[in-house]
Amino acid sequence: MSRFKDALVLILAGGVGSRLNILVKRRAKPAVPFAGIYRIIDFSLSNVMNSGLRKVGVLTQYKPLSLMSHLGMGEAWDFTGRSRGVKILPPRTGDKDSDWYRGTADAVRRNIDFLADSPAKEVLILSGDHIYQMDFDAMLEYHRSKNADVTVGMMVVPKSEIHQFGAGIIDARNRIIDWEEKPKKPRTNLASMGIYVFDYDYLMKALMRDKDGIDFGMHILPHGIANHNVFAYPFYGYWRDVGTIQAYWEANMDVLRPDSGISPQKWEVCTNVEADGRPADRAPARFGAQAEVTRSLVSAGSIIQGTVINSVLAPGVIVEKGAVVKDSILFADCVVKKDAVVDLSILDKRVVAEEGCVIGHGDNHEIANRIAPTHLYSGITLIGKEARIPPSAKIGRNCVVDSNVDAASFEAELLGDGESILIPEK
Amino acid sequence: MLRPTTLAMILAGGRVDELNVLTYYRPKSAVPFGGFGRVIDFALSNLMNSGIEQVAILSQYRSYSLINHIGTGAAWDMIGRYRHVSILPPFLGTEATDWYRGSADAVFKNLDYVEYHRPEEILILSGDHIYKMDYQDLLQYHHAKDADLTIALLKVPLEDAHRFGVAALDDEDGERGGRILGYWEKPVQPESQWASLTVMCFRPEVLYEALRSNQQSSSFEFGRDIIPMLVKQNFKVYGYKFCGYWGYTRTVEEYWQSNMDLLGEEPRIDLEGWGFRTNLEHRGIRGYQPVLTGKSAMISNSLIYNGCTVEGEVRNSILFPWVVVKKGAVVENSVIFFNNVINENCRMNKVVADVNSSYGRNVVIGAEPGSTARKVTVIGWNNHVPPQIRIEEGATVYPNLQKSRWPAVVKPGEVLR
Repeated sequence: MSRFKDALVLILAGGVGSRLNILVKRRAKPAVPFAGIYRIIDFSLSNVMNSGLRKVGVLTQYKPLSLMSHLGMGEAWDFTGRSRGVKILPPRTGDKDSDWYRGTADAVRRNIDFLADSPAKEVLILSGDHIYQMDFDAMLEYHRSKNADVTVGMMVVPKSEIHQFGAGIIDARNRIIDWEEKPKKPRTNLASMGIYVFDYDYLMKALMRDKDGIDFGMHILPHGIANHNVFAYPFYGYWRDVGTIQAYWEANMDVLRPDSGISPQKWEVCTNVEADGRPADRAPARFGAQAEVTRSLVSAGSIIQGTVINSVLAPGVIVEKGAVVKDSILFADCVVKKDAVVDLSILDKRVVAEEGCVIGHGDNHEIANRIAPTHLYSGITLIGKEARIPPSAKIGRNCVVDSNVDAASFEAELLGDGESILIPEK
Repeated sequence: MLRPTTLAMILAGGRVDELNVLTYYRPKSAVPFGGFGRVIDFALSNLMNSGIEQVAILSQYRSYSLINHIGTGAAWDMIGRYRHVSILPPFLGTEATDWYRGSADAVFKNLDYVEYHRPEEILILSGDHIYKMDYQDLLQYHHAKDADLTIALLKVPLEDAHRFGVAALDDEDGERGGRILGYWEKPVQPESQWASLTVMCFRPEVLYEALRSNQQSSSFEFGRDIIPMLVKQNFKVYGYKFCGYWGYTRTVEEYWQSNMDLLGEEPRIDLEGWGFRTNLEHRGIRGYQPVLTGKSAMISNSLIYNGCTVEGEVRNSILFPWVVVKKGAVVENSVIFFNNVINENCRMNKVVADVNSSYGRNVVIGAEPGSTARKVTVIGWNNHVPPQIRIEEGATVYPNLQKSRWPAVVKPGEVLR
């Protein structure tokens, strides 16, 4: 029956995503909140659901608790039912001491029993940390029509960025004839999106052939390209790897612009609103008499009495009178008290900005964070989960304030540009 | 003992004529309220917050919307070994041959269901009212008095009392309540200000007997028949005094007013504080993205739920999920239900707009923007109001109006079918 689309889906959700700094201190990258009510992995899961695929394994490794509670039984993405299912696949100890996943292909290989149980003819492997919309059913059709062993989702990126990706060179039929993983010198602008359709039997053989081949991009694909049929599936829409603070912030801001090409609503992205054990039927967002809210996303349960400009607010955010939130991303249940200012900042859950404090102070965006200059360099300041910023504090640009920090950790009223307040791990 | 002793029955069958087009396709209890829920959510949330989780809903009129809304009951945590919501529609059988002939008849027809649960107290509520009450407190009073029936009462102005069931009671327990000495349903000349909230707690045997003997009668209502009968027969009927907010929304004006009670600095209806819960699966509102406000958006004193897009102006209004307010449009003092598109330069003042409609450019509904409208204008569902049309204040537009039937101006108070 052709209506049954029985490709098996594996979502790789194990990455640390350490460039997201303290946002991934207690959660895996795919579980980082996005656009108010979503988490990054919702985009992959919803694409799977909207493509009509029904069997999914999610490979987790790094700090998976938040991710597991978010996935739940999978009802949010309609993965419950007789012929449907989402399984969490954490690393398991086997006959060797170290059985952590060592790479993407290694992670899949270690779940070969999960694969072996499947009657699927194709296996779709994707990453759980990208923001995009894609019809995998069309990609599977393409894969079949090309009689491919492997099909790789690829898109054109600026040549200056190609060094972050796997890069492929194709012939006129879209067959990939050469491959470079994260090339220093770009020869092409066609980048891999980390989305692969494998012929089931081919994948099983490839995984068995060389057990040291632990990464798809580094090992499995180059071997396949040299010896078998590997095709590129061209993608032309909005796609972002939100693996850096800068990219993460920009993608959130894109949701606010009608012409950016990203729209969770139109893409029918679903999420599990009940994670964290808080039933999410919060009241509608309340806009006070003096509220000013432009170019922003405001989630249910928020109460806005102050000014919000160009910002993304998760459920339950409170912005009191006289407070200003601008160009910022606030996670669930943050409180910005009277006359406080939050500018160009990302606030993790339940941060309290006390009366009159300033987060994102001053005009100098140039001094990168001293500890993590590659994470924070454009002016964005990060505040960790449940931090309390004392009333008269001023926090500069490119700063990091760790989770649970409170007034006791502030040595002076001003935290200079590029400085951090970190609590050492016990 | 783990087995719960209270069975709650919600009377949710009624359509209310005065609510007009809003109850054209749904019972009153399923009328949207609060920016994302339905009226019956108040009774259900009260039950959940009171820890009463065996619930039956008696429904008769156009129950699809209600059945869909209740779903499995999981939204109110009413799913589990001793937790459930059952919907009890009218049925035919060897004995039953008719619709529910009244609220008491509805319960009577389901006595087998009630007796099966072996309740020790039966709480009968209306699903039509907006209030927060801890039913456990009423149950406690009921038991303390060893009452046969305890009903919740609210003090209303004497001039309004004729609209309600009214009880005269003694001062046995002062602020808490007292024995009911007389009860009159909608009396022409009321002698008491204590109005029934339609929250009644029965001793089961008394209820069973009363319902059985009521079958000989020709009227089958709790207010008109059962309560007065029990008072007359000298059963121990007590009044429990309630002094919180109570939204009795029998008319469009009252319905609009209770919506406005959700707004302001300290709203009289505090959804969050009341522990209000609804079913997010209904209409799929779970998956809606947060409210998106455009660069020209101006929003003040309003409630807006996920899924809305606002580029125009919204004042003193409530927007349900998936309302689009385009540039130049002004929505004030209005309640806009699910899935409505309000196009450029459209003006609405004191309007209740039902679901699935669109409003063309430059449409003006109600009083002039910024002026004080006296009457509510109501627009029924599935309407596509052509551009430039003027609908004057107090008008009513029926659902599914054909394109050809739209005049250029709908006059004040006109009913357009």
